[in-house]
Amino acid sequence: MTANMSASGMELGRADMIVSDGVDKWYGDFQALKGVTAQVAEREVVVVLGPSGSGKSTWIRCINRLEVHQGGTIAVDGVELTNDTRNIDKIRSDVGMVFQQFNLFPHLTVMDNITLAPRWVRKQPKAEAETKAMELLERVGIPEQAAKFPGQLSGGQQQRVAIARSLAMEPRIMLFDEPTSALDPEMISEVLEVMKDLARGGMTMMVVTHEMGFAREVADRIIFMESGEIVEVGTPEHFFTNPTEDRTKLFLSQIL
Amino acid sequence: MSSSVVPPNLTPEDFEVEYSEEASLPPEDPSLSPSVWIQKNLFSSPSSAVLTVVFSVIAVLTIRGLLAFILGEERQWDAIATNSRLMAAQGYPLDQFVRIWVAFGSLIGLAGFSAAIFRASGTISLKRIAIWVMNIGVAAGVIGLLAPLSSSGRMGWIIAALVVFGVGAAIWFGFGEERRRSTFIPSIWVLSGFALIGVISLWVVPYGHYFLGEDGRATVEEGTVAFSTQMPWTVMWAILVVSHLVGLAVRDRLPAQASKGFLGLLWVIAPFVANWIILRDPDFDYDHVFSTDIPMALAFIVIGGAVLWAQSSSTIGETGRLLAIAILLAAVYTWVSRIEFLDFLPNWSMLQKARLSMLFLGLYGLAASNFSRDNATRRAYVAGWVIFMVIFHWLVTAVNSPSTLNIQSDTYLGGFTLTLFIAWLTLLVSFPIGVVMALGRTSNLPIFRLLSTGYIEIIRGVPLITILFFFANILLFFLPEGMEIAKVAAVVIGYGLFSAAYLAENVRGGLQSIRRGQFEAADALGLTTSQRTAFIVLPQALRVSIPPLVGQAIATFKETALVAIIGLNDFLRIANNTIPAQTDFVGAKREGLLIVSAIYFVVAFSMSKYSQRLEKRLGLGTR
Repeated sequence: MTANMSASGMELGRADMIVSDGVDKWYGDFQALKGVTAQVAEREVVVVLGPSGSGKSTWIRCINRLEVHQGGTIAVDGVELTNDTRNIDKIRSDVGMVFQQFNLFPHLTVMDNITLAPRWVRKQPKAEAETKAMELLERVGIPEQAAKFPGQLSGGQQQRVAIARSLAMEPRIMLFDEPTSALDPEMISEVLEVMKDLARGGMTMMVVTHEMGFAREVADRIIFMESGEIVEVGTPEHFFTNPTEDRTKLFLSQIL
Repeated sequence: MSSSVVPPNLTPEDFEVEYSEEASLPPEDPSLSPSVWIQKNLFSSPSSAVLTVVFSVIAVLTIRGLLAFILGEERQWDAIATNSRLMAAQGYPLDQFVRIWVAFGSLIGLAGFSAAIFRASGTISLKRIAIWVMNIGVAAGVIGLLAPLSSSGRMGWIIAALVVFGVGAAIWFGFGEERRRSTFIPSIWVLSGFALIGVISLWVVPYGHYFLGEDGRATVEEGTVAFSTQMPWTVMWAILVVSHLVGLAVRDRLPAQASKGFLGLLWVIAPFVANWIILRDPDFDYDHVFSTDIPMALAFIVIGGAVLWAQSSSTIGETGRLLAIAILLAAVYTWVSRIEFLDFLPNWSMLQKARLSMLFLGLYGLAASNFSRDNATRRAYVAGWVIFMVIFHWLVTAVNSPSTLNIQSDTYLGGFTLTLFIAWLTLLVSFPIGVVMALGRTSNLPIFRLLSTGYIEIIRGVPLITILFFFANILLFFLPEGMEIAKVAAVVIGYGLFSAAYLAENVRGGLQSIRRGQFEAADALGLTTSQRTAFIVLPQALRVSIPPLVGQAIATFKETALVAIIGLNDFLRIANNTIPAQTDFVGAKREGLLIVSAIYFVVAFSMSKYSQRLEKRLGLGTR
């Protein structure tokens, strides 16, 4: 694994936003993560690839403590994740997360979905939060849906609202856990466009996805995982054209 | 961009309407001719033909038997008509009866207004109205044909049936297929139309115990329904209609959220106001009120308000929470200790107020950090405390003042009024406790889980009647010295605690149906556990729990009948014990029981119907 640190923060000349050092995670007797070590630098876009069950979702969920890791350390923006709830709250409000199943709040309108956390966590006044929310909805292309309920939107629109909801907290890092896997094919591109736009804007992003086109186009680095381990790390060019590991080659031959 | 960012004309209600009613109607199934329908549904095979015939005969015999029971000559319906005032309000003094009408009128006005604000009134298509009216005609026809009537009476019923059926048929055929299905009338107007027919009939038909004088005019005995209630009921009907019209007129000019919240508050305090203020007419001792009660309330408003203002400051941090906990502990200390330091308070009711106010102050202060956003939010937070304190001190002062009513028995409420009062208060008491218990049982903290589970399981293992006996007879001995509690209050507390355990289990079902993703999304946004519970988990859980919660509410309403056993005069007891003991109506028990059953059924059925509508409305936007 030591050979794979080709583009760490040091090399890019930026601070590391996420440092994962030897992270272990068990579900009962099953070890889901085996000493996962990697860094994500500021304004870097990292795409995590791998077959299903390889631990990539588990890893990304450990980063904002939705899952609790049992070995190793995770530090986000210099704050280490421990059982101290104040650290967790601090990290969670700085880290946005987009889920595969959107997880919008079905009983709230789109507007309320977006403004809830800024109003109650960031303590923004209602008017200010709503102005901000409207800007975000314009940015993701659906300002006209503000007063609707999530159940009245298409999957792609829901996922865009979910992205806007995360952005409303003005996070420094965005985590995407298979954001397009639950979408119908014709809706995938509208979500990917929003993500590309975010990446161009300089957001630090970690993306678990199966969209190879997105990975090739947007990623600064690709991390390939299998069976709870990082197998290979590299630039998209290196990864797609000249992978070194056999397991990576096998994976690529199966999907391309 | 201005601060009003949502397009002004769009509210969630607009979309609900769009989704529920403006969708174009699907074509109806082709209607079958009667003979084909009968063949298809009733006589499709030899066995179904046999079943149809057998059960038709059973149905006819049952209806005939029931009608014979209701209309039989030995029935003493006069017993009910003459005693209807007793069944409604027991021994409430006649000269004070206007208080009952004022209380009832206030509730009706509140209901009519709320129905407009909450947009609770659905719509009914002309087609369904026509079918209803025709069904009523058919029912009247069945009575006319099957009941044991004189031949002229039978003719009257049949003619009436034909007329009603004809009206229904006229509505049906007077409008074309398209208009009949697409013309909608607000159901509240249909209902108040039926109510109007009932009210008018009070003026025309001399129900009850009357006799015809020589001049041909009906003379009524003292206490008979029709002639004593025609005016009040007419006024009640007018209040309903006017309040609803006012609600319709102003609802678009009121801020929706705020007015709904205010009406919700009114509904919560309505039973207390109706009972302690209107019906009881507390005899305030104004010297005491000005010298002690008001200064005390002001002290809690001013000092408490200042403390809360400080606690909700954005710079206070954890100190605010510690302060709240300190106040809470001090309040608890005044309950468990034989307090001396509050001895300067002149009497027990003052002590009670001080203790409760402190307890509330501590609890309210715990939420302070959620309102530190800006000064407007802090002001709203403190204003909430002020409003709460004003209502609280006012009500407690009213409870502790003597009543002006001169009543011999220990409870001035009785009959159906008592039934409604107990059911309503019990639900009010049990709802918050039940929700807290459900949250406790699903909490991660072992002490909460243990306490809630223990409470729920113990209460669910004890029969209701045992709990009622306990609270009605034994609770008194556990009270601190100098405290008294009315039997009704003791019953409400016991019944509320009982009902809360069942309610908690229903809410827990709702809590468990919330998907994990909702918790994760709330956590990922950085919401605290209490914010997550209040904004994300509970609203969804309660929606899911509506059907079982309404089932619980119906059961609570019906089981108030048990209070008859511990000696409260609810209307079951009046029908079962009091009326049959009157010299005029010795043994007339069946009539009363039938009427009581019918009233229980009507109330329970309305609640069930309303819950179906509520479910449908809240289900929209949730998928």
